[in-house]
Amino acid sequence: MSHHFIRFTNVHYSYPDGTEALKGISLTVTHGERVALLGLNGCGKSTLLLHTNGLLLPSEGEVNVGDVPVTKNTLPVVRRAVGMVFQNPDDMLFMPTVYDDVAFGPRNMKLPEKEVDRRVRTALSAVGLKGCDDKAAFQLSGGQRRSAAIASVLSMEPDILVLDEPSSNLDIKARRNLIDLLKTFHHTIIVATHDMEMAQELCPRSILMQDGRIIADASTSEIMQRI
Amino acid sequence: MADIEKTYLKLARINTGGGCSNTSPAMLFITLTYLICVLSVPLYQPQKLIWLAAYPVAVSEIEGIGYGKIFIKSLWILPLVFFIGIFNPFIDTAVAFRIGNISVSQGCISFISILIRGLLSFQSVLILVATTGFIDIFNTMRKFGCPSVLTTQLLLSYRYIYLIIDQAVIMKRAREARGYGRKNYPLKMWGQFVGQLLIRSSQRAVWIHRAMDARGFDGTMPTGHSLTWTSRTWVWLVAWCSVIICLRLIDFSSLIKHFVS
Repeated sequence: MSHHFIRFTNVHYSYPDGTEALKGISLTVTHGERVALLGLNGCGKSTLLLHTNGLLLPSEGEVNVGDVPVTKNTLPVVRRAVGMVFQNPDDMLFMPTVYDDVAFGPRNMKLPEKEVDRRVRTALSAVGLKGCDDKAAFQLSGGQRRSAAIASVLSMEPDILVLDEPSSNLDIKARRNLIDLLKTFHHTIIVATHDMEMAQELCPRSILMQDGRIIADASTSEIMQRI
Repeated sequence: MADIEKTYLKLARINTGGGCSNTSPAMLFITLTYLICVLSVPLYQPQKLIWLAAYPVAVSEIEGIGYGKIFIKSLWILPLVFFIGIFNPFIDTAVAFRIGNISVSQGCISFISILIRGLLSFQSVLILVATTGFIDIFNTMRKFGCPSVLTTQLLLSYRYIYLIIDQAVIMKRAREARGYGRKNYPLKMWGQFVGQLLIRSSQRAVWIHRAMDARGFDGTMPTGHSLTWTSRTWVWLVAWCSVIICLRLIDFSSLIKHFVS
């Protein structure tokens, strides 16, 4: 059973206040693809990403992660496969130390503590936070917090990595490190971003959204020309 | 409000000092024993509490925290304890003893007793947090049969307290940036501040909960390292509980008085 692709079939989603955020999204992201989600604020990018992990379930339509439909019953399987990095890293760092934050996912997967430790050290080393494991989140810089948030997802060794505006609030160096890090991830990546340069460098394919709909789905260079 | 940022950082730092030494698992039980002993001292015998102060002094020095720091931090609780006991001197006016022409009422004695036991209790809790850390406290509670629903709730409450303070700091900065040095605000504005604080905190809480869900949170906070009870842990537990119980039961004031006379 492969988890490495995501398929949206005519997905609609309305927030409880009545705001219709997604209006009939149909889309497939296949194994190993790197896709950028582009669009203005409020166009539905983040809402779409929240559906990949089952944090929001569609009001209408279906989301599939590999062969598995995203429903309440399949959430544990889906969340093992799809790792999501939120826009604000502070939302992801809620444990007393960076180590505990990065270990949170693997421990929820009930892995043996030895394996948890291996994954945490590998993830921290990958994001350049070796030696920061005993620090609290508030002791890290903005870029380091972002890296810790990414490490907390990498430690779950997901098949699909979903990132919501990962380069926001990062300085040039931290942004460069982030792009280089994401290039080393060989599975599927979906990135919602306003950072056109990052999209161009990282993602061969881009999807342009407007008002809850996909208005363009093409190669990033084509989309750039259109914009 | 003025020192909210400093208090936030201080609070956060108390917990990051958390140990995981092999005496940590015992600290919860030692603290419980201490609290029971402190609270069981009769209200009108504050002199017996003085001897119990030996525990926070000794443990904070042995653990390398320093009693000075613990004492200063324990002063945070003083306004609350002060408010609890302040009416005693006015209600209980019966004379307990006289010093020259000044009569000391039983209410004054009970007020002092409440202040001391409040400080000592808070100091012991601060030492517990500083030596053990919240996570290990909850781990110990869970290991000894405390329902996971309760420990998870406590852990999340602990996390959300920081969240609310964090939001308060952000809002305070935003207000000061546009306040042009203004310090006094009408009550209505404080009401709006608190309302906004709760709304913003609950929004953040939703995102944090989503982040937890996204990483497989199933309602039980995962625990990492298992707490190991070594022989040193047991020695530490038995030794300190014995010392605390002795400090509570033996009237050292009378003993000293007896030897001196």
